Amino acid sequence: MVTFLQSLIDGVTIGSAYALLALGFTLIFGVLRRLNLAYGSSILVGAFAGAAVFAQWKAGGWAVAAATLAAAVAAGVYVERLCFWAMRKGAAIASMVSSFAVWMQLEEFLALLFPGRTLSFPPLVERSVFELGPFQFRTEYVAMLAIATLLVVALEWTMRATRFGLAVRAVTEHPEAARAMGVPVARIAFWAFVLASAIGGAAAYLMASAEEQVTLHSGMQLTFTGLIAMMIGGIGSLRGAVAGGLVLGVVETLVQAHFGATAREIAAFGLLFLLLVLRPGGLLAQDFAVREAAALRRV
Amino acid sequence: MLEVSDIVTSYGKIEALKGVSLEVEPGKITCLLGPNGAGKTTLMMTVAGILKPRRGSVRFEGRDLAGQAPRRIVEAGIALVPENRLVFPNMTVAENLAAGAFTRSDGAGIAEDMERMYARFPRLKERSTQAAGTLSGGEQQMLAVARALMVRPKLLLMDEPSVGLAPLVVEEIFRIIRDLNRDGTTIFLVEQNAHMALQVAHHFYLLELGKVTFSGAPGQLAEAEVIQRAYLGSKKTQ
Ligand SMILES: Nc1ncnc2c1ncn2[C@@H]1O[C@H](COP(=O)(O)OP(=O)(O)O)[C@@H](O)[C@H]1O
Ligand SMILES: [Mg+2]
Repeated sequence: MVTFLQSLIDGVTIGSAYALLALGFTLIFGVLRRLNLAYGSSILVGAFAGAAVFAQWKAGGWAVAAATLAAAVAAGVYVERLCFWAMRKGAAIASMVSSFAVWMQLEEFLALLFPGRTLSFPPLVERSVFELGPFQFRTEYVAMLAIATLLVVALEWTMRATRFGLAVRAVTEHPEAARAMGVPVARIAFWAFVLASAIGGAAAYLMASAEEQVTLHSGMQLTFTGLIAMMIGGIGSLRGAVAGGLVLGVVETLVQAHFGATAREIAAFGLLFLLLVLRPGGLLAQDFAVREAAALRRV
Repeated sequence: MLEVSDIVTSYGKIEALKGVSLEVEPGKITCLLGPNGAGKTTLMMTVAGILKPRRGSVRFEGRDLAGQAPRRIVEAGIALVPENRLVFPNMTVAENLAAGAFTRSDGAGIAEDMERMYARFPRLKERSTQAAGTLSGGEQQMLAVARALMVRPKLLLMDEPSVGLAPLVVEEIFRIIRDLNRDGTTIFLVEQNAHMALQVAHHFYLLELGKVTFSGAPGQLAEAEVIQRAYLGSKKTQ
């Protein structure tokens, strides 16, 4: 029982970072209805920039975080201009295919710049373990959970209480109607992309600082984790993205505790498969999420 | 007030509007009737700035608005109640109204107008914190109208507001249209329900296959013929 609860706590913690990844993915998919396969690699550019700043100047946490976010946003804007804005008149598949190409391009770019492929990353807080009753808490994970929670709450507030948030949601639900009301749809989509890249950058920062390293191959993992958490939660739903991230984190951790690290790798896909069979729209299924899920499977 | 002249709007190579000219007089209810696929929605979207015309002009109070961004058109005083309502289903009623006021930045004025909408549509007030997707069809249509009214438009474009609603609700929608008009809003209405439309219209046009084929007051053409042409198109043009 204690092991189970401990896994639950660990799962929620890593799940909070997954939730951020899924939120970024969901924002982009929501306003554009197009998949961004370069998502993971663009935020990985951020994490490598942070690691480079750390390696070069032994800079502290804030400078590394700022570099990570700035580079993730810059890479995100690059992806948006190339794969989405330039392709806006074409079919959705054109954006998906070109974002796949940019994914490869960004990874090659990082591989050339950093032949070592694995860089060390500064921890957010000093590593230590403390106990609370029968449970163990690692400080770096507590910090991750706290910051991720703060960011999720801030994003929720932005979406509920600001004009920008209102516009993003309107564009997500009915772009045509939003446009008729004078919402500048393309501009809102651009800024949603910027916001999503910053959120993704924050997730990458939290995960890299907890592991104290970044490796090149985690780009794919970041993309798939965000994508799967989004699909589990219900495509297009921000709350669903948070739920999807948490569920994925918990399931992965439980599977790892009981069946080992190899099983963890396939847990995400197993969970996704199960959900798509049982509840095609995702956990927080919305009408249009069901439609979008069906459309996605056709792609 | 609104003068559309010789508008051509196409989807790729397909011309949906083939040189449409018509006029909406201030203070009146003008109806546009015609069979499915005639181009009624295309005309509404062109006036609202969502579609750009290939050719022609859309003059509103003397200014040419053709090809302008929707925001400019909203600011000029034209608002659209889109076909199929398109309320934002996962946003609350209040958030839908706020979204309607997106081009405005006067917080106090917006709040005041929201209260005016709640006074006009009490059912929306009761449901102000409910997700719009949970409303009935008639309530969603009211919300779509109220959302468009949030910019205090001089001209309200309505694209098939009665479609898919029960007869009693249709009557209510038409009563709202009359009330709005009486209170000073000019209305340009697209309808499938020719019978109801002819009862409220001061003037109407028939659109068939992208061309205006009739313009006149209700009564100038036998209702049976209007209905025939509004549903099926006239034999001549088909
Ligand atoms: N998005 C679109 N792409 C291509 N053709 C369209 C599109 N929308 C409408 N059309 C075509 O334009 C014509 C007019 O359509 P529409 O304006 O919707 O007619 P109505 O509202 O009178 O039913 C139809 O032939 C329709 O098939
Ligand atoms: Mg139509």
